[in-house]
Amino acid sequence: MQKRVCKQWSQLFLVLILVMGLRQASAQTLQFVHAVGNAPLVLFDSVYYNRFGEPFVVNKFKYYISGIELTDDKQSTTSLSDKYFLINEEDSASKIITLPIKHNLRKISFLIGVDSARNVSGVQTGSLDPMNAMFWTWNSGYVFAKLEGQSEVSPAPQHSFSWHVGGFRQKENALRRITLELPPDGNLDTLRIKADLLQWFDALRPLKIAITPVCHQPGELATRLADNYARMFSVLQ
Amino acid sequence: MKGRIIILVISLTLAGIAWVDIASKPKPLPFVVPKGWPKPQYDFSKNPLTDEGFELGRKLFYDEKLSKDSTISCASCHQQFGAFATYDHNLSHGYNNSLTTRNAPSLQNLAWQKAFMWDGGITHLDLQPLAPLTAPNEMGETIDRVIKKISRDTAYRRMFKAAFGNQPINTKLTMMALSQYMLLLVSSNSKYDQVMRGEASFNLPEKLGYEIFNQKCTGCHPPPFFTDFSYRNTGLRLDTTLNDSGRMKITRESKDSMAFKVPSLRNVALTFPYGHDGRFFSLYNVYDHYRSKMNVSKQTDSLLQKKLPISNYETGQLTAFLRTLTDSSFIKNPMFAPPGYDVTPDFMNLH
Ligand code: HEC
Ligand code: HEC
Repeated sequence: MQKRVCKQWSQLFLVLILVMGLRQASAQTLQFVHAVGNAPLVLFDSVYYNRFGEPFVVNKFKYYISGIELTDDKQSTTSLSDKYFLINEEDSASKIITLPIKHNLRKISFLIGVDSARNVSGVQTGSLDPMNAMFWTWNSGYVFAKLEGQSEVSPAPQHSFSWHVGGFRQKENALRRITLELPPDGNLDTLRIKADLLQWFDALRPLKIAITPVCHQPGELATRLADNYARMFSVLQ
Repeated sequence: MKGRIIILVISLTLAGIAWVDIASKPKPLPFVVPKGWPKPQYDFSKNPLTDEGFELGRKLFYDEKLSKDSTISCASCHQQFGAFATYDHNLSHGYNNSLTTRNAPSLQNLAWQKAFMWDGGITHLDLQPLAPLTAPNEMGETIDRVIKKISRDTAYRRMFKAAFGNQPINTKLTMMALSQYMLLLVSSNSKYDQVMRGEASFNLPEKLGYEIFNQKCTGCHPPPFFTDFSYRNTGLRLDTTLNDSGRMKITRESKDSMAFKVPSLRNVALTFPYGHDGRFFSLYNVYDHYRSKMNVSKQTDSLLQKKLPISNYETGQLTAFLRTLTDSSFIKNPMFAPPGYDVTPDFMNLH
């Protein structure tokens, strides 16, 4: 009799350990929510206005997230340094990133773009495969972020505007690190991060579609766009 | 008796497994650095050459199906008998009757090159094929569709497996295979090389030309590659239809305006027309540029600020010397010919 109880207890104990183990391994997810101001982003159909009153439609919105660092309430930091995620509005699964456990997160930080090492060491695979059309083939390097659409104010062919931002060399480095403090009770299973496209136009410096509708190379326009979009993220409560 | 049969069966099975194992391991292919040449830039440890990898690369290089309308392969513009430049074309023909905006350079000794294209915009040999595959005026295809076409083809599937084992076919492996083929395009057996090795000797005009070359040209075209791989402004005027500012397109620095990569002069007798946009039809046009037509400005290379005096007499000798850089064993090497051929058949040279 005693033996049986003992066995039952030990079984329960095992189950408990297992459950705790699972909890430990249970993942927190990061979800990117794309918006234009307060409106949700809908590709192709919706007409939005930036703060200069320029109307526009969005056809494509993609960017790389890498170098994720997670800091918890005990100030310990986990980094996912070799993970590169391509977030693509067209593909809703791409907007969800599974993180290794980090309950009680206080801070999250990440890069928009791809570090220079991966820009110069040959063909990469997975999300960095040049097949994903986020690579400049004639001037080796990744496009870190793409925003494409149409606007009647654009002087470019078909009234399109097309902003491809990248550049890893000194002086034209468009890699930006974003750090977001999380609310103290932000102990949710899904951390939702909003990306507001309106910030591309004027978060730091004004960039009008009518004046600079096309950015297809690293350089000054690309770094200015990067400075602007680096301010597009916020934590959704 | 029964025991013996069992032992026989077991040993046969083991032998079979061993055989399959040997057969499925790709066979290493040596890369020979010619005597006296520097260490290659390419990191072979990341892409070890094998017979199977090279064969796959050769098939890809000659495969027109990789282009959007299945008419253009790498070899359409890089022809072996022209030292892998486009023979007798200032610009090459691409997808749908388009033209490239630059002259196709010869492909040789690529393992020693750090950056590619006339402006050095491509920083790794494995990345180079992505540009012609996707350019609308070259092969006009998307990488995605290229990989899909290859993955559907049983011959390719077999060859990828032989070269890279069970890894899934992807962009990286495809580019690595193309690199394996291109890395072996080593030209080091011209008459010049034979003279340097003491196996042949220059005739008088060649010898005189060699001396002139050493005085006037090796500042930018030094042996053994006959280029120092730098970017230089040689006083070319901007062609206003092409608007090609060269290296400045990549660095966006005005000091690099109209600077282009110094081309190798190996096999130069075969790679006419000359210059980044093929504007010079003959070697004589090139000499004429250096000695008189140049547009010298502040940005022109310091070695050319006073142009390059070349007498009529010297042009003949320079030409005699430059002809010694032709490597017929390279352009006739059956190893580089299309799979199944010893030389490229005429019907493949339509472009
Ligand atoms: C339509 C013609 C065309 C096709 C097809 C083409 N190329 Fe080229 N290739 C060129 C031209 C033109 C250049 C020079 C481009 C430049 O400098 O901007 C070039 C440059 C190169 C270079 C750089 C050489 C150097 O010394 O910098 C390599 C390597 C190369 N091509 C390999 C390939 C491979 C591999 C393929 C097939 C996947 C291919 N090419 C298909 C025309 C072509
Ligand atoms: C200051 C550096 C420099 C010097 C000195 C120089 N070259 Fe060049 N050469 C170049 C560059 C750069 C190009 C490419 C020009 C272009 O943009 O089209 C070139 C192109 C050529 C070409 C065309 C090759 C091809 O495949 O297109 C030939 C031939 C040539 N040079 C021969 C010579 C000879 C012969 C001499 C000596 C009399 C000489 N060069 C001196 C830099 C130099």
